[in-house]
Amino acid sequence: MTKHKLWRFLFYFLITAAAIVFLIPVYLVLITSLKDPGAINLNSTWQLPKVWYWQSFAEAWDLLAPKFVNSLILTVSATLLSAFFGSMNGYILSKWRFPGANIIFPLMLFGMFIPYQSILIPLFKFLRDTGLYGGLPGLILVHVVYGLPITTLIFRNFYAEIPDDMLEAAKVDGASFFGIYSKIIFPLSISGFVVVIIWQFTQVWNEFLFAVVLTKNNSQPITVALAQLAGGEAVKWNLPMAGAILTALPTLLVYIVLGRYFIRGLLAGSIKG
Amino acid sequence: MIKKDRLTAILMLMPSVILLAIFVYGFIGQTVYTSLTNWGMDPSQALAINPKIKFVGFAMYKELFTGFIDIRFRQDLVNTFFFTIFFIAGCLVLGLGLAFLLDQNLKAEGLYRTIFLLPMSLSFIVTGTIWRWLLQPKGGINMLPSLIGLEPMQSRWLTTREQIWQFNWQDIPQFTGWLIVLVLLWISFSAFRNKNKSRALVAFISLLAIAAWSAFIAPKILILPYPETHGFNIAFVGIIMAAIWQMSGYTMALYLAGLRGIPQALREAASVDGANEWQIYRHVVLPLLKPISLSAMIILGHISLKIFDLIFAMTGADNSTTDVPALLMYLTTFRANQFSKGAAIAVILLIMVAFVIIPYLWTSLRSEVER
Amino acid sequence: MADVILENVYKRFGDFTAVEDFNLHINNEEFMVFVGPSGCGKTTTLRMIAGLEDISQGNIKIGDRVVNDVPPKDRDIAMVFQNYALYPHMSVYQNMSFGLRLRKTPKDEIDKRVKEAAAILQIEELLDRRPRELSGGQRQRVALGRAIVRKPKVFLMDEPLSNLDAKLRVEMRAQISKLHQSLGVTTIYVTHDQVEAMTMGTRIVVMKDGLIQQVDSPINLYDKPVNKFVGGFMGSPAMNFLTGTVKDGILTSEHFSVTPDAALKEKLKPYNGKKVFVGVRPEDLFLVGETEIPEENHSVKSIVEVVEPLGAETVIIASVGSDQIVARLDPHAQVKAGDKVTLIADPEKVQAFDLDSETNIRFT
Repeated sequence: MTKHKLWRFLFYFLITAAAIVFLIPVYLVLITSLKDPGAINLNSTWQLPKVWYWQSFAEAWDLLAPKFVNSLILTVSATLLSAFFGSMNGYILSKWRFPGANIIFPLMLFGMFIPYQSILIPLFKFLRDTGLYGGLPGLILVHVVYGLPITTLIFRNFYAEIPDDMLEAAKVDGASFFGIYSKIIFPLSISGFVVVIIWQFTQVWNEFLFAVVLTKNNSQPITVALAQLAGGEAVKWNLPMAGAILTALPTLLVYIVLGRYFIRGLLAGSIKG
Repeated sequence: MIKKDRLTAILMLMPSVILLAIFVYGFIGQTVYTSLTNWGMDPSQALAINPKIKFVGFAMYKELFTGFIDIRFRQDLVNTFFFTIFFIAGCLVLGLGLAFLLDQNLKAEGLYRTIFLLPMSLSFIVTGTIWRWLLQPKGGINMLPSLIGLEPMQSRWLTTREQIWQFNWQDIPQFTGWLIVLVLLWISFSAFRNKNKSRALVAFISLLAIAAWSAFIAPKILILPYPETHGFNIAFVGIIMAAIWQMSGYTMALYLAGLRGIPQALREAASVDGANEWQIYRHVVLPLLKPISLSAMIILGHISLKIFDLIFAMTGADNSTTDVPALLMYLTTFRANQFSKGAAIAVILLIMVAFVIIPYLWTSLRSEVER
Repeated sequence: MADVILENVYKRFGDFTAVEDFNLHINNEEFMVFVGPSGCGKTTTLRMIAGLEDISQGNIKIGDRVVNDVPPKDRDIAMVFQNYALYPHMSVYQNMSFGLRLRKTPKDEIDKRVKEAAAILQIEELLDRRPRELSGGQRQRVALGRAIVRKPKVFLMDEPLSNLDAKLRVEMRAQISKLHQSLGVTTIYVTHDQVEAMTMGTRIVVMKDGLIQQVDSPINLYDKPVNKFVGGFMGSPAMNFLTGTVKDGILTSEHFSVTPDAALKEKLKPYNGKKVFVGVRPEDLFLVGETEIPEENHSVKSIVEVVEPLGAETVIIASVGSDQIVARLDPHAQVKAGDKVTLIADPEKVQAFDLDSETNIRFT
């Protein structure tokens, strides 16, 4: 029994140590963002600020606010659109099997694994030729399209759990394609939508490559702005740290409040779900 | 009625299919084509409205692998190789360890899980910004030992130019040969243990042949006219740490889901059969987690091949010591306007990712059909 | 080969008592069945014997050794699980030899034992397969084989047949009984199926709500249930229960009047004028003419609702006032739904149960 207790103690010790290591960066970000730039120096790096300097957040917010709004518009529209199409695709691929579906689905899925560099040049040309280059609508379109594989995958796996009998019954009762979707599939997929929306929200908000290549200055999302803010040979580290916190806040909140669904999205990405 | 619905279904799927057909396969095709031209290699033509473009075949690829200026690309491949290995190993070991600890019915399990997964919700840009500060020569991590009264560390982290494990690029054929020898040795050994004698024999004979080739013929193949050293850039250590910090929560979640999926009765059966706690893990739990390790390796592997934002945020886009192909493609294409060379890098990147992902997609979808 | 002894064993989960004051001496080589409805504590008791659950109070002995704090691996037991719990990543051979390999048994000894067990269970040609390539019945045999090769002191089986279809269940029931006869290892078998309990057990423990109701041989349990629960649980179709009043030793209501034998009459004396449960098994009811027992004071007036001709017998479901009874009649009985019939109860087989304590008055 005592040996058992010793092991438990060791486990608690190890996991707590790991948790502390994981939280060290978070701690450092917080205290640095709250320090007067003049008070940031080598010897007091790990100490709490003597004076709480909230000014950094105000400054960072002034710089990032317009980009924050850009990101919000981008993320919300791209997320909702790709969730809707993904749900429709998932419904069709899981419940209206047709010849060739087994070929189309993996081909769609492959799109979520490709390095986007491999389509970036034609994409850039395409957006420039259609006049969408540089603005938010173009970036929204891009995120919707490349979001389709993962949203389709999650919904398809989700709908596979709905018994076909239920749909057969609805067909016998006279429901059509859209009737079944709106009366049965959609009401049953609320938690599927939560998973997909959270996942896409996080992905689109955090994305960088498309954002940096395809937008011009005043339609940049926040990740690009943060990279610029932190990218120079910055001396005043309080500002990038406050910026990092502002950038992280929306996804962090979503994660902390709806973590359970976030993890489901995470696991769905490894296909078998 | 049903027929009409079926038609509606196909029509509703069409927009997505067409969009993905163009945006994924159409664009990949265009990229491949671009990589076979010289678009952008003549600066005067690069940004012209109707640039004069010449088809040059595999010239860009040849330059990347053998050209004198493109030594940077080859070092990038080496960087990606080392980064991938350490990143995957770190995430697997740490993720498995954390999942194991969380599986012990500890109190506050939910809190711990939330902490370990927290970095997963952040953007690589945020992570990069944070770690860039942590790894400043005069900040953060270096000062950590001073908290417990030790001397601060002097590591230069991201800015060091030190390189270890150097090797000559000309030796690559030999290395590849010996690597295949190792794989064959393993195949032949496991075939022998499973009493599959003919397979063991075939593997062993091919092993001898390739070993001979590696020892005698490979050294004479000169893929470069002159020796060229590459190695592991120490500056990557910090980037690997940041990447593991961000992604090990993912492997933890995968392993945890796997552990929870193992029926309790299986562990009980093992304990009745006479296994102690350690033997239960060794003989029952870990073997059952193997497929999860494989999935995790593939997912992490393709992430690490594509890694771009993290390094961009930590060391900037044009720090040559911490460069990777994904970044070089961005620089070559959008800073230097050498579209065709950028496209060639992108295609190489795609091929590497496809090597990892296609077998994975294939097997997981096939096993789904079997179910 | 060992006795298994449980002394005042309790199992509590927080405020809930799953097993209460469990006392039982299982003899060497005995086939003991724990039976009861789900949640009665039978599986928990088995798991305590296995060492998979801690004991809240009391003692468990295997042989002469108190095993309260001995981990499962050192108890020298083997267990067959409800879902078989075969290791999916091991072949059948590896599954069966796993326990022996852990104990560092010599290789040729392992091989001998596995082959032996496989021969007994007729799974020799499956030894190289993985569990997922096997049918339910084959998995069941492998799970048994895994237990047999260990040559343990005690076999524990937790509803091992509940996942099989009806036909296989009958087959495996016989196989397990045969195994027990040839190996003679003390076996504890948990089931919710009273047919399995009756057909397999040397003795049966009937449990309800964590309490032992009765421990006895199958036939005694059937003939002499100590209370209404045991009477109703054992036997299919189940025992019929009617509520009646004791009047001078006769059990009556407006629909029936049943005179028990002298022995029960004697025991019913203190109950004169009180209500009791009257219990009659379906096979102890007869149509007028099927028996020599006179109709007067033995009659149950009922209306037939359903007739089920089964060939070997005809089962009828009939209403007696607001109650329902089941009777097993001669296959050629001429009855149809809607008939008013008078059934006659065998006086020697009639049981009476106390209305409050539900104990069998005949055996108090």
